[in-house]
Amino acid sequence: MIQTIRAAGSFWLLRVFGSTIGRKLVMAVTGLGLCGFLIMHLAGNLLLYVGAEEYNHYADTLHAQAILLTIAEIGLLILFVGHIVLAFTTDRENSAARPVGYAMKQTKQPPSGMAAPASSIMMATGIVVLLFLLLHLADFRFSALGIRKHDGDDHFTKAVNILRDPLSAGVYIVGSLVLGYHVLHGFQSAFQTLGFNHPKYTPIIKFLSGLFAATVALGFGSFPLWAWAIQK
Amino acid sequence: MSDKLNLTLKIWRQASPGAAGEFKSYKLYDISTDMSFLEMLDVLNEELIQKNDEPVAFDHDCREGICGMCNLMIDGQAHGPDLETTTCQLHMRRFRNGDTIVIEPWRARAFPVLKDLIVDRSAFDRIMQAGGFVSVNTGNAPDGNAILVDKDDADQAMDAATCIGCGACVAACKNASAMLFVAAKVSQYALLPQGRPERTARVQNMVAQMDQEGFGGCTNTNECEAACPAGISVSNIARLNREYLRATLTGAK
Ligand code: FES
Repeated sequence: MIQTIRAAGSFWLLRVFGSTIGRKLVMAVTGLGLCGFLIMHLAGNLLLYVGAEEYNHYADTLHAQAILLTIAEIGLLILFVGHIVLAFTTDRENSAARPVGYAMKQTKQPPSGMAAPASSIMMATGIVVLLFLLLHLADFRFSALGIRKHDGDDHFTKAVNILRDPLSAGVYIVGSLVLGYHVLHGFQSAFQTLGFNHPKYTPIIKFLSGLFAATVALGFGSFPLWAWAIQK
Repeated sequence: MSDKLNLTLKIWRQASPGAAGEFKSYKLYDISTDMSFLEMLDVLNEELIQKNDEPVAFDHDCREGICGMCNLMIDGQAHGPDLETTTCQLHMRRFRNGDTIVIEPWRARAFPVLKDLIVDRSAFDRIMQAGGFVSVNTGNAPDGNAILVDKDDADQAMDAATCIGCGACVAACKNASAMLFVAAKVSQYALLPQGRPERTARVQNMVAQMDQEGFGGCTNTNECEAACPAGISVSNIARLNREYLRATLTGAK
């Protein structure tokens, strides 16, 4: 009988987080958590389209929940940091697994129609999303970018002003599209990692992944265009 | 009637494990399109031997697609351009007159090059020793149909068991991950009642050994599935993940 567990490390959680599969599981869970956040974030932002009053009301109500908001922000911080730190560590380990590369390398997968399939450039798209996130936090969350400081503006005006700035509009559009491409692979990949793969529902998950990616890319990407269009 | 090919081969030559290797070019003339890829390499080696040169070392055994020894990276494809085909089953009619063919060994930290195109795949053996088996009592052989097996489960277990352990999944994966191999081996037992008693320790030990050997992690790019000469599906990797999660959450250790 196979009796002894050979895995190194005594505490089982350390053993799991040290294993390739355990780390993938954490990537998947944090990734799905962040996908959930994207949906909520997009839903809130869509109130911009409903009207200034509704958007301001939503933002004020949200900000009035000081304690809950802090808890949510800490939760998000944990998700982001976990996802990003693991991305960098596993990426380094995975490159180390092939110290000498091939002189020639081709794929046997049917052509996806894209220059690089989403799954093969997750690190690159992830870094773009991270830079986008940092800029987004800097101007919306911390109002740290001097040129975009708008004391006394209401939330709606602030959002429109930031989105209308040509530089940030460009960053927001590109960032949203790249984010869409990132989650196109990430969403369905998380299910595979969590063990969900079945002829009955894998096609549905892949379809939902495409739908989710398009919603994220077009949804978030549309705000700068809209801000530019409503010029008031 | 078979056509004849004139070819240029660019082959990785490396004298020993630690030695620095390099690509060397060889010209071959009048190669029949009816030959297999390995027969073409045999022709090259005959010529090299006649010239008193060192023949190219490459692995092979059955030459019928079942042993998983003939591991070559051909023009950047594990086992060459055909789907679900091993190098020994690849035929020269797949190539054109005047082609240059690049031939490299598998590249992975866990598969060190021994000589030229031969790599050491004993990492797979150690993964199998860690749990790729079922324990059976000695004594009289049990009645063949004493344990009922669901037909779907039996089919899926057979599909997983067609893995020939060649390592093409590792070779093709951008992370040099062995997940498809381990997934196939874990699956073939996990699906059958005979494999159930040891399933918890099996998956934990095989994954631990896989990690210890220095293979990379899976990022679900599905390159392994496309490269696999036995057509092993990545749905097995999902099963491996399930088995691992189950063992982690419910196992005693
Ligand atoms: S030589 Fe046995 S599989 Fe090719």
